[in-house]
Amino acid sequence: MQNLYKIEILENEVEFLSKKILELNKKLIDSQRAKTLFLSLVANKLNDPMTAVLGMLPHLKIQDGNENIFSTICQEASDLDFKIQNLITVAEIESGNIDNSHALIDIKEIIDEAVKSLKYIIKEKSIKLNIKNSVEKKIVTDPKKIYIIIKNLLSNACMHCPQNGIVDIILSIDDSILTLLIKNESSEPRLKEIPKIFTRFSEKIDSRHGLGIGLSIVRELCESLGGSVEYDIDNNFVTFKVKLPLDEAMQDFQACGSNEFLFDSFDDAIEL
Amino acid sequence: MIKTGSNFIHVGQIHVDTKPILISTVLGSCIAVCLYDKRLCIGGMNHYLLPFWNGNGLQSLKFGNISIPKLIESMIDKGATCNTLEAKIFGGASINFSSCQTMMVGEKNILVAREILNDYKIKIVAEDVGGNNGRKIQFNLEQGKVLLKYTAKSNFGDM
Repeated sequence: MQNLYKIEILENEVEFLSKKILELNKKLIDSQRAKTLFLSLVANKLNDPMTAVLGMLPHLKIQDGNENIFSTICQEASDLDFKIQNLITVAEIESGNIDNSHALIDIKEIIDEAVKSLKYIIKEKSIKLNIKNSVEKKIVTDPKKIYIIIKNLLSNACMHCPQNGIVDIILSIDDSILTLLIKNESSEPRLKEIPKIFTRFSEKIDSRHGLGIGLSIVRELCESLGGSVEYDIDNNFVTFKVKLPLDEAMQDFQACGSNEFLFDSFDDAIEL
Repeated sequence: MIKTGSNFIHVGQIHVDTKPILISTVLGSCIAVCLYDKRLCIGGMNHYLLPFWNGNGLQSLKFGNISIPKLIESMIDKGATCNTLEAKIFGGASINFSSCQTMMVGEKNILVAREILNDYKIKIVAEDVGGNNGRKIQFNLEQGKVLLKYTAKSNFGDM
């Protein structure tokens, strides 16, 4: 009897507090919505001229002695485009428009594309890039998301890698889980940043790099694909470990995941 | 093989579509709100983890008070109106009794769903919420019906 009374009190308390919080949240949501709209507008306004610049750059006639200048312009344009694409991704995440799409892809092609887009920084720092890929067959996943995940992690690895440092990319599949390791040598592993490494716009310890959104995007996209990303430091090597299930999200109830319940039939289900 | 016409959604996701699509998800203390417009055969489902966005960081669809309005807006964008929408809500189980806080999350999630739908004057025509079991649901946009199965009591605390 006493327990029932306590439960009733708790329920009333929850209801009262919830209503209060809802009121406060309505105000917060309005301001957040305005910010999201602003972010989306800015990202798209920047994207249009950037697309034109990137499209025209390869058609410029390079004169002798100007190769380095041209290379720098290409590098900066590519870097700026990458930041804009990340802003667009953040705007999409915030607006909720991040539905999964699926395609049969060769993961090696995605890796190659990401490496190619970062060729300037790899060359500039003389980074030794090792790719160990044991994924032989094509996989079904969201190509756009996986590209953004890989590019952000690889960009992060290259940025924090010292001159002549090592970056390893290791890919494997085990029990229908795609594991991607991106490992970079780091002269100053930033242990104190671990708790907030995936927090968007966190107070940056090293303000030289990026906008503070790349790793948060990685986490959001991994989670939207039903996967996860972890961060580890060992012997001056920083490792990001991404795990993505390859069956669950796309094969509906017929995939062979670890949880059989996910994929059994609805023959004896309740209909509502 | 990918079955065309079926979509599995995870925590923090929303999917809005038209018939003959199926949308499914698995719930523990999370809630899925299924909205359906019979006139247009448009349906949408969300899957949220926590009742309220606390204002820290960016708002996320993992929070009920962000996710439900977003789902309603997405339905309206497709041509539905609040008058023609019907809601069904699922989940909100008390999965893990090891902590009082966890136990309350499911309850709070249910409350938020009811409050917000009531604010929008959207009628809840069916629900299967609370309890101690996880649920798997499949929302059929052909008729707006939802098929539901219970899991054995296990730790779905993060779903």
